Amino acid sequence: MILRRPVFWLILIFAALMAFIPFHANDVSMREDLILVAIAVILASNLNLMIGYTGYVNFGHIVFYGLGGYVGLYLATVRNWNLVPASLAAGVVVSLFALMLGMGILRLRGAYFALATIGVLLAVQSFVANFDPWGRSTGLYVDFSAYERLGGARHALWMTYFLVIGVMALSMILSLGIKISKFGLGLFAIREDEDAAVVLGVNTTVFKAIIYSVSAFLPAVAGALMFYKNGMIDPSIAFEFMLSLEGIVMLMLGGKGTVVGAALGGGLYEKLRSYLLTSPKLSNFQLVIAGGLLLLVVLFAPGGLIGWLYRLVPRARKVIE
Amino acid sequence: MKRLVLPIFLVVALFVTTGFAQNLTLGFTASNTGAMNVDSLEQKRGFELWRDQVNAAGGIKAGGKSYKVQFVSYDDESNPKRVQQLYSRLILQDKADFLFSPYSSSLTATAAIVTEQYEKIMLTTGAAEGKTYTLGNHYLFQMFTPGAEYLKGVLDMLKTKDPKAAIAFVYEDASFSVSVVNPAKEYAQKLGFNVAFSEAYAPNTTDFSAIIDKVIASKSTILLGGGHYADGSTLAKQLYEHKVQLKMITLLVAPDSDKWTELGDAAVGVIVPSQWEPQSAFKPQYGPSGADFAKAYTAKFNAPPSYESAGGYASGLILQRAIEQAGSTDSAKVAAALNATDITTFYGRSKFATEANQHGLQVGHAMVLAQWQKDKSGKLVKQVVWPLAAKSANLVYPIH
Repeated sequence: MILRRPVFWLILIFAALMAFIPFHANDVSMREDLILVAIAVILASNLNLMIGYTGYVNFGHIVFYGLGGYVGLYLATVRNWNLVPASLAAGVVVSLFALMLGMGILRLRGAYFALATIGVLLAVQSFVANFDPWGRSTGLYVDFSAYERLGGARHALWMTYFLVIGVMALSMILSLGIKISKFGLGLFAIREDEDAAVVLGVNTTVFKAIIYSVSAFLPAVAGALMFYKNGMIDPSIAFEFMLSLEGIVMLMLGGKGTVVGAALGGGLYEKLRSYLLTSPKLSNFQLVIAGGLLLLVVLFAPGGLIGWLYRLVPRARKVIE
Repeated sequence: MKRLVLPIFLVVALFVTTGFAQNLTLGFTASNTGAMNVDSLEQKRGFELWRDQVNAAGGIKAGGKSYKVQFVSYDDESNPKRVQQLYSRLILQDKADFLFSPYSSSLTATAAIVTEQYEKIMLTTGAAEGKTYTLGNHYLFQMFTPGAEYLKGVLDMLKTKDPKAAIAFVYEDASFSVSVVNPAKEYAQKLGFNVAFSEAYAPNTTDFSAIIDKVIASKSTILLGGGHYADGSTLAKQLYEHKVQLKMITLLVAPDSDKWTELGDAAVGVIVPSQWEPQSAFKPQYGPSGADFAKAYTAKFNAPPSYESAGGYASGLILQRAIEQAGSTDSAKVAAALNATDITTFYGRSKFATEANQHGLQVGHAMVLAQWQKDKSGKLVKQVVWPLAAKSANLVYPIH
């Protein structure tokens, strides 16, 4: 039972605090910092389903986030849908797209799969850049009046924040739920030895396609919310390869294959980057410092922060999953 | 006791004088890293020169007070993801009174969502896309001529030289260049030109040979397009290496930079639509003359100003005048003064649209065309060739 897991309650408390503290203090700066943290946690947690649980490296994970942004923004601005149904629809559409795609490319393994995911990213980006209803390379813009429908821009941005925090909590709960389920066991079997998993009766193609599709849903919803908040989307910002790579770095930092590790890595990485960026003394060296720290982690703590914690306190495994 | 009188007097005097000079905080982000750092740096230098000159002259004087200008700025990494976080920080933590935009249209559009929310005035420069102004803003003021106007002058000029020319449009598939080229294509067709070829290339393209072959096959004699510095300079270099016999090459943004001379012979003859050139001889009603600005800029940064630099400086100038006119630093009053602005500075005329459906759009400023030519000593120099009233040299046509 998921309810008996301490981590489940920790996730809820963490999300509630993240939602409550900036709202209570009416601190918009803190909210803007935390929303980027939440997005990082969402991307890292869902990427973890593929990389950490199933052992398939997905370099094109950001395609779900970007496509979700496009579908959501299209429905919300051109078709005048409300934000929440538009975001959910974005999640569903992108998940279905991932399912169809997954059935095809997940027959590939290892480096071939990783390469195919880069291909998917580039192909989708080119398609969107030439797709008329989505504004081609100039993208889609949100009319300022669209925020009026949600009670003005200030109110709308708070609402988007709470929704993003909700999606973040769901991402972590989803990770936990899959980890303790039979389906999760099947995924771990694929990760450890795919051929053995087949022999044991795991329908690996279906399992992989399902997890690929599931890992697309929440990032797509988050993309719809985030680009609505940003006010515009165009192919260069929606499908940023760098962000895909950063997602993998976040996982390595926190510890792949664990629920808390993915979230911790996402959160810490984002906090570190924005601290370095705005620090008057360090901002000129921010990329050097971020890069150096990551090298240290990979060299000396290959299991990430959580792996390091497990080695230090083996009993932590039971609480921090 | 007597010995203390003088020091006390000095301290009090210092206190009183500094008490009157208040600080005015201006916030912006600049792309210190990432794809747009060359253009963004030049814009930032424009801001800085203006700040230093204003402060040296005692600050901005409004309503009997004088305000020293101070800047707060962050690196946005040329990435829109950071922009809202950083502009919120500028407004809320750094308490910026007024804002300048980041460099580029997409970063500016993203920043505008935040600045509008807090009813903060943002002068936008380095952002020519017009769409942002049609979304119902109240506090945006655009310094650049909108993108749709960029290539019209080139086509008008070409009409006088070669009314039946075959044109190839080769441009970066990005927000800014597409918003420039699409209206230009329509205008070219309206003028009766033959648009023989049109292709957008992906941002970050480094190999143009396939596109260049298609340009040659289309028998075009004119090439219009480009995007930003990196792709534009590479395209020009490869056109030269492939010995394409074009009569005219016009590229966006890139040839305006001083670094263009590094291309050597590939740079010769290339035209750039420009917001401003040092040779533009506008008679300023306010602020320094073009020559004085260029001289001060070159002395400070050891490089001649580009139009991004001029746009940066002019943003400061227009804001300064509006604050002086309003006699206050109150956002609503300064916005009203900006709405009423119609003035010529060294940068040319500035006037903002006030209709609700396009508030803040620049409607006063006009583009000039500059061409890289060799002077008598064989040195590469940029000459204004259009409009004829502002020209500093005749157009070289055809270049091959």
